[in-house]
This record gives sequence, structure tokens and C-alpha cells, in this order.
Amino acid sequence: MTFKQKIFFVLTICAVFVSCSSSNKKLPIYGEREAIKKMINGVEVVDTLYQTIPKFSFLNQDSVVINNDSLNNKIYVADFFFTSCPSICPIMKKQMLRVYEKFKGNTEVKFLSHTIDPKHDSIPVLKNFSNKLGVNSMQWYFLFGDKETVYNLAKTAYMSTSYEDKAAPGGIVHSGYFLLVDKNKRIRGAYDGTNEGQVNQLIDDMQVLLNEYQTK
Amino acid sequence: MLYFSFTLLVIAILLTACVNEEKVKYTRYFTDGAQLYKTNCQNCHGANGDGLAQLIPPLTDTSFLRKNRSQLACIVTYGIADTIKINGQTYNFKMPANTNLVPIDLAKLLTYVTNSFGNKQGLYDVSEIENHLKKCR
Ligand code: HEC
Repeated sequence: MTFKQKIFFVLTICAVFVSCSSSNKKLPIYGEREAIKKMINGVEVVDTLYQTIPKFSFLNQDSVVINNDSLNNKIYVADFFFTSCPSICPIMKKQMLRVYEKFKGNTEVKFLSHTIDPKHDSIPVLKNFSNKLGVNSMQWYFLFGDKETVYNLAKTAYMSTSYEDKAAPGGIVHSGYFLLVDKNKRIRGAYDGTNEGQVNQLIDDMQVLLNEYQTK
Repeated sequence: MLYFSFTLLVIAILLTACVNEEKVKYTRYFTDGAQLYKTNCQNCHGANGDGLAQLIPPLTDTSFLRKNRSQLACIVTYGIADTIKINGQTYNFKMPANTNLVPIDLAKLLTYVTNSFGNKQGLYDVSEIENHLKKCR
């Protein structure tokens, strides 16, 4: 290495360090937003109201009610699936399992898998599925709810489309997205659950999101 | 003597041609089979045939695949919803049918499956597949 090269090398290392330590990386906030005016201490300020996940209430694989309040102070990853799905669901579950393994036991992190086929996926079916997947029902909820409600939640709240299509394998098409939701119930990321690279990104982003809540 | 060596040479050439033909066929089946596996099976059984937890069995149980060689075409075509033991682990989920696959596809696919993931069973011929399919339960 020449002297010049050495200098360059050292400078590069420095640059990397500086950029890393000073990066206060934040995830974007998805969804609609509106500016609202409110009074704070007699002064009018403009605040932004972000779209949040509307209230919901479902039963999990242990027949326990899971609703918005169950997720207070948690970040979570949500997806839509059904147990008899022959196409992309097994891949999604394999990828989700990878994310789960990374955050297993972290009390700030939950996983929500909504079935979109409640006719077949009864609570015992979901329980069996979750047991066979080998996951803890206190951290990964398999949620059973009325079909209409789940479809609406998928469409309006999560922007991911899930609608019936008799022609598709398994009878139901759905987007295959993993949605990352923060502690304020805002969507902070959407990732293709069949794509290993995007799921790696999700794992990184979850760490970034958790860091946002670290008290400085 | 000249005749003898000539005959020997001809036989040798024929033999190599034969062996090569088998080999070429095997390679073609294996390659096409890999593609068929990717589109029809990989979602569930995985790129490395490792399955999914206790839901979907791996394709790495070489003795199961050897013992059930004559059943494989039926399993793939009509699906399976039994309780089966793979690598000592019990599975009782459901595998859907693949009635879109014709015997030549099955031959290629199973040539790939039974020679990957640690398996080494050699070529599956179309005639073997057709035989097996006649005896599906
Ligand atoms: C929807 C997911 C799914 C798809 C797609 C699928 N399988 Fe299966 N497969 C399963 C399940 C689940 C079982 C176990 C069924 C049981 O327990 O009775 C199984 C069992 C098997 C078995 C016997 C057990 C073993 O592990 O050796 C073979 C062989 C097999 N599948 C091959 C294939 C091939 C080849 C394809 C592609 C044409 C395929 N499968 C597509 C889910 C699937």
C-alpha cells in the first residue's frame, strides 16, 4: 500500500464510523395523514394525525380475546394466511418463523397471523397449526374472526388485498405481505413475505423501530 | 484377429453410446425435474427439501423414499393426507393433488427428487411411472 492509499483507507474507515454512529435511522410512517390544529397551552399548533389500525377483536388459538389493547406497548408483525393454502403460505410461514426466531422471548414484539378462511380454520385447527409450527402462543397469535371483518381489516387497515378468487390455488388469493406496526398502531413497513431479502430487511427494520423506543 | 479387434471396437462404441444416452437422459430429466420441483413443490418442501417444522415433511428421509418408491407417483398425483413418519417425526397434514402433471413430468420430477437432498436412486423411467400409477390406492 502506498502512503496515499493508506490515508485513503483510514479516511474511509473514519467516514464509515461517523456515518454509522450519527445515523438516527427512522422508518417511514405509512398510510394517510392529515394536519390537525390543536391548542397547547393556549397556543395553536399544527399536528399530524396518522392513519392507525382500527380497533379489532379476535380470538387466538387458545380462545383468548386479542384486541388493540392486547398490543399496547408492543410492536408487531401481521400477515394474512390460511392453513390449507397450497401456494405461498408455507413460504411465508417459513420466513415468519425466521423473524420469530430472531425476536423470540422479546416481550415488546408480537406476531399476528389472521386466517382468511375461518370456515376451515377453526380455533382447534389453528391451535394444531401453531403447535406443529412450534411457536409460543403468548407471542405469536393465530387469529380467528369473522371473514367479512378480517377482509375489511386487510383492505382498509393494512392496504394488503385479500379477496376470494375461486380460480386461484386454494380458492383465496392474498397479497403475502408482512406489515410492521409500531407501538402507536401505525404501519411502518410492508415486506413481501415470500422474498428472503425483504424479510431480512424486516428483521433490520424491527431493530430500528425498537431502537426508537429506547430511552435516551 | 483383425476381425476380432474390429468387433470389439464396435461393441465398445455401441456400449459407450448406450451409456452416454442413459446419462444424457438422466441429466435432462434431472434438469427439467428441478424446474418442475421449483414450480410445484418448493413452496412447501423448500429449496433444500427441508420441509416446514412439523407441518410439512422434509424430502431428506432417504429410506422412506426408497421403501415407497412405487408410491411416489401416486402421492404426487393424488396428494396425501395420512399419518406418516419421516425422519422419526410424525406428520399428519395434507398435501394437495397435482393432477396437472403427466407421466413424463412425474418421471422428471421424481428423478430430481430421488437424486437430491441426500437421495441417490437413479433414473425414473416413464414406463415405471405408468406402472406405478396403475396401482394407486
Ligand atoms: C401445500 C404444500 C405441499 C406441496 C405444494 C407439496 N407437498 Fe408434498 N407433502 C406435503 C405434506 C403436508 C405432506 C405430508 C402429508 C401427510 O402427512 O400425510 C407431504 C408429503 C410428501 C411426500 C411423502 C413424505 C416425504 O416427505 O417423503 C413426498 C414424497 C412429497 N410430499 C413430494 C412432493 C412433491 C414431489 C411435490 C411437488 C409436486 C409436493 N410434495 C408438493 C405438502 C406439500
